Amino acid sequence: MIELRELTKRYGGRVAVDGLSFRVRPGAVTGFLGPNGSGKSTTMRMILGLDAPDHGEALIGGVRYAELTRPLTSVGALLDAGAFHPGRSARAHLTALAASNDLPGSRVEQVLRVVGLSGAANRRAGTYSLGMRQRLGVAVALLGDPGVLLLDEPVNGLDPEGIRWIRDLLRALAAEGRTVFVSSHLIAEMALTADRLVVIGRGRLLAETTVTELAAGGDSLEDAFFRLTSETTDYRGVGAS
Amino acid sequence: MKNVVRMEWIKLRSVRSTWWLAVAAVVSMAAAGVGVGLGYRSHTPVATAAQILDDSLGGAILAQLLLGGLGVLIVTGEYGSGMIRSTFAAVPRRRAVLAAKAAVCGAAALTVGLAASFAGYLGGQLAIRGTAIPAASLGDPAILRAVLLTGVYLGATALIGVGIGTVLRHSGAAIGTLFGLMFVPMIVAGLFGESGIAVGRFVPLLMLLNSIAVTSPVPGLFAGWVSASLMCGYAAVALLCGSVLLRHRDA
Repeated sequence: MIELRELTKRYGGRVAVDGLSFRVRPGAVTGFLGPNGSGKSTTMRMILGLDAPDHGEALIGGVRYAELTRPLTSVGALLDAGAFHPGRSARAHLTALAASNDLPGSRVEQVLRVVGLSGAANRRAGTYSLGMRQRLGVAVALLGDPGVLLLDEPVNGLDPEGIRWIRDLLRALAAEGRTVFVSSHLIAEMALTADRLVVIGRGRLLAETTVTELAAGGDSLEDAFFRLTSETTDYRGVGAS
Repeated sequence: MKNVVRMEWIKLRSVRSTWWLAVAAVVSMAAAGVGVGLGYRSHTPVATAAQILDDSLGGAILAQLLLGGLGVLIVTGEYGSGMIRSTFAAVPRRRAVLAAKAAVCGAAALTVGLAASFAGYLGGQLAIRGTAIPAASLGDPAILRAVLLTGVYLGATALIGVGIGTVLRHSGAAIGTLFGLMFVPMIVAGLFGESGIAVGRFVPLLMLLNSIAVTSPVPGLFAGWVSASLMCGYAAVALLCGSVLLRHRDA
């Protein structure tokens, strides 16, 4: 269970996240939707204690992230497809992180197998394709067998097969009773993956709903999303003339 | 804490740059030692044992930049790549991470620094074999002290690098600052001539060349062990600054 209470973050005069309060429940995939720049990544970083909120708090199972002992065993996170040193092999990257939380080396081999990187594990991660980097990020998230998973744009850069793999993985993790919170700006992808949706725009909560409810308005899910976020999209082009 | 140290040790040894910098530090000091020894072979008057030793440790000027760079990269390499977010997500106690980095990097740089210093000494001694120049024995406390303290100086330089890297978080800026801190104060102290020594004895590179890596310090400078302790003090200050900033900044 993830709980946000009036979470707020300012950068200079700009408010990136504005009094955000919602809960993410276990046993379901919750999609975190919003246009580019709406504050999704900032929110994720605050949940993980990487950025300090100016107001409010984010709790995981009732405590702040910084208070978790061996956090990888409670929360697994995929932040961006580059949170590793390019000169280090995937195996060394995972082994180092496993050591920090006193996880056995066998977990490293297990997650490498799950994400399909066993064959490339000794290569320097900087030589990986974007899809392989995402897989390495997912391996880090799964390392401690956590009950809560946070994934920021996990399907970015994946090919159709990779996208389906992520989708099946997330649904399987949620079916095991875990809390799965996954951000995306791809509404169509979320429609296939998520059960519940949290929609934000300009750092504010626009809707806390389910895929079924959002689509029930009569128009397509995409139209419903545009209707929700139309007031809050900062940058928008016009049709080519 | 033990687990955090394990993580940092795995990280340190699993990137190539660590090994390149360590090998380069040892080779540069060995080469400087050999070069000095060869240069003095046919020199008149015949060089003293102290001259050979003092000069053959001169490769530490380059080695300090290599090991200082290693210290910087241990931190800024993580900020540049985004690795720091994986690290802090795994260990939210940031000061434990910095302490572990300092412990691992300090121990590694001290080991490499001692090896490099010994290589410099040995290079110089091997290059003067068969000449009239007296050999310098490590059994002589003044000789042994200079070799050991040079290693300590190099270890402290790496820790200064860790501190600066934590404050600045950017490889280029931090390495530039480290080089600046090593050379600019020496040039400034030099501008004041004789009276510059009052300040110069606190300047890292002047301490290295005139107090630490020599059999007997130049008059006006501190004893070798005082200078080496000062270097460790600078390292502690740099790490403390990094630690204070680390706590509140967004990763």
